[in-house]
Amino acid sequence: MSWSDLVFWQIVLGGTLRLATPIFLAALGEMITERSGTINLGIDGIMTAGAFSAVVCASFAGWQGGLIGAALTGALYGAVVALWVVKGGANQIITGIAISLVGSGLTSFLFQLWQPSGQSMMFVPLAPNIAIPFLSEIPLIGPILFKQNLITYAALVLLVVTAWLMNHTRLGLVLRAVGDGVAASAIRGIDTDRVRMIAIIVGGCLMGLGGAAITIGFLGSFNDGLTNGRGYVALAVVIIGRWSPVGAVLGAFLFAFFDSLGLRAQSGMGFLPNEVFSMLPYAMTLLVLIVTARSKIAPRELGR
Amino acid sequence: MMVKSLMPSHQRGRAVLALSVVFLALAALIALAGANPLDALAALLRGAFGERYVLAETLVTATPLAIVALGVMPALRSGLFTIGSQGQLVAGAALSTAVIQANADATAPVLLLLGCLSGIGGGLIYALLPALLRAYMHVNEILSTLLLNYIAGYGLLWALKGPLRSSMQTATPRSDALPDNALIDNFLDGTRLHSGIFAVLLLAVVIWFWTRTRSGLVYSLFASRPHLAARLGLSSPRAVVTTMLCSGGAAGLAGWIQVAGVAHTLYPSVDGGLGFSGILVAVLGGLNPIGIVIAAVLFGALSTGAQGMQIGTSVPAAIAVVAQGFVLLAVTLAVGKGALSSKTPPHPVGPQPSETVEAKP
Repeated sequence: MSWSDLVFWQIVLGGTLRLATPIFLAALGEMITERSGTINLGIDGIMTAGAFSAVVCASFAGWQGGLIGAALTGALYGAVVALWVVKGGANQIITGIAISLVGSGLTSFLFQLWQPSGQSMMFVPLAPNIAIPFLSEIPLIGPILFKQNLITYAALVLLVVTAWLMNHTRLGLVLRAVGDGVAASAIRGIDTDRVRMIAIIVGGCLMGLGGAAITIGFLGSFNDGLTNGRGYVALAVVIIGRWSPVGAVLGAFLFAFFDSLGLRAQSGMGFLPNEVFSMLPYAMTLLVLIVTARSKIAPRELGR
Repeated sequence: MMVKSLMPSHQRGRAVLALSVVFLALAALIALAGANPLDALAALLRGAFGERYVLAETLVTATPLAIVALGVMPALRSGLFTIGSQGQLVAGAALSTAVIQANADATAPVLLLLGCLSGIGGGLIYALLPALLRAYMHVNEILSTLLLNYIAGYGLLWALKGPLRSSMQTATPRSDALPDNALIDNFLDGTRLHSGIFAVLLLAVVIWFWTRTRSGLVYSLFASRPHLAARLGLSSPRAVVTTMLCSGGAAGLAGWIQVAGVAHTLYPSVDGGLGFSGILVAVLGGLNPIGIVIAAVLFGALSTGAQGMQIGTSVPAAIAVVAQGFVLLAVTLAVGKGALSSKTPPHPVGPQPSETVEAKP
């Protein structure tokens, strides 16, 4: 296989969709959270916790159980953030850093209790890959778009649903109004605390699912540090995507494309050191972040 | 509004309550791991202070934590959340190793000076990019520094497989051992305690002195009232660049100290979470130098003690990270909105009573 080979690019692009799913789900969660005026910096820790609880639950109850477990775990972490920030008035950034630590530390702690080191790695059932009849047989794009994991399809459905909710329903309007002006919304009779709490909890739920998309989407097992900063990438993706669901997808594709390219190129055909390919997705995310930084369309209450 | 105490008296009650809950939660986790919480606590204390060697290890861990924390303190005081200490520490460690290896034949004073300066230089260079991006292009400093941490990690791996590769076969990538002349001297036989600890004291005194100067006050003011600070001669780009460079230089210094004082070689996990924890130490130390030194020793004790606890009672050492997170959660809840807020106060114009006449009844 070489750079000029069509199959190579087919694999890279197929991988892009798969690797973008966790980042997209987490970014969608963060976007909903930030639209309500709160920044949740604990995103990487929540993804880690979701990834782990997906594996634990999947080992007992199959991949369906894994998805539910990850969503509940994420929602639980989201509830902690919501209580701290909305009800307790705690500093959002420090709360987020603390949640990152608890998420990764507690997960690592429980992982060692569950599987003391030295035991063989436990593999759990994955969510199924689904080839859509006829469509998956289209040459070139068929295998890329229509032979994907169930979670990837679900994420695409979520994209459409969220975009619609956000832009065409009263629910979305209320969410955006709270994020752009807590006082003004409160005057209009909106229970702003409740809206923000719900947004943070739903956001946490999606971050947990983002973690699950790594473990029961394609990896099949858990190991420490498996998110490799993808939560923070999702945070950047929200800004790059200008707080819109479609933007979040495009941002996730950006990172995932270079991630996928790096994974393929490392199998002995790179003309650059492997480490350069590994840092490329982070560097490209930073680059695009720099280019898009000047737009000032963040929710006005963000961080307060 | 002078030196912001993290803990005014009315918050102390909440803090005590929150910390009690933290202790109960940690005890529950230890019980879940099948150990008696009291035994585990004893094992932790023995593992952190019980004998000469572990006591020295606690201080060896506390040293880089304190240096990183003292370095980020001005940035945090100015309301800038730079989380790039990890990458800056790596950059300092790598550059100082490279410079030392290139001048391996020099005498001890020269090599120590070169190592120290190139460590600081590496951290400065690596902090310069996010600082300029924040100052002139409004790129969020939290995100740029986080992403740069990962880039530094892979850069270090590349360097250890390429230009800094050990001449011997090693199982994991690492550099050649530093020449003896480049090492920071060890002053307690049979332990790893090294003179780098004096850098902490020096830095703490300098920073403490700075907080008492006019400049220190204006920087604190910048966090809540950037326009007022600008009228007093501190423009926003200048505040951002100087404080972020300060954190970078300190993290780079810590990187050199880890290589030349502790490991005597450069290896992939040279950071080992020190950069991230150092920022927490700064926050929990209440953003003042004395608090930071105390918090650094406590964090050092927690991480060496947790190792001892893992060996003694089979409670995973990751409990130390959980404890750090829980304590941070408890403190940030107890403090509430007041301290460490990077946002503008509710009344953006006019003098604040708390700033002008508070002290005079």
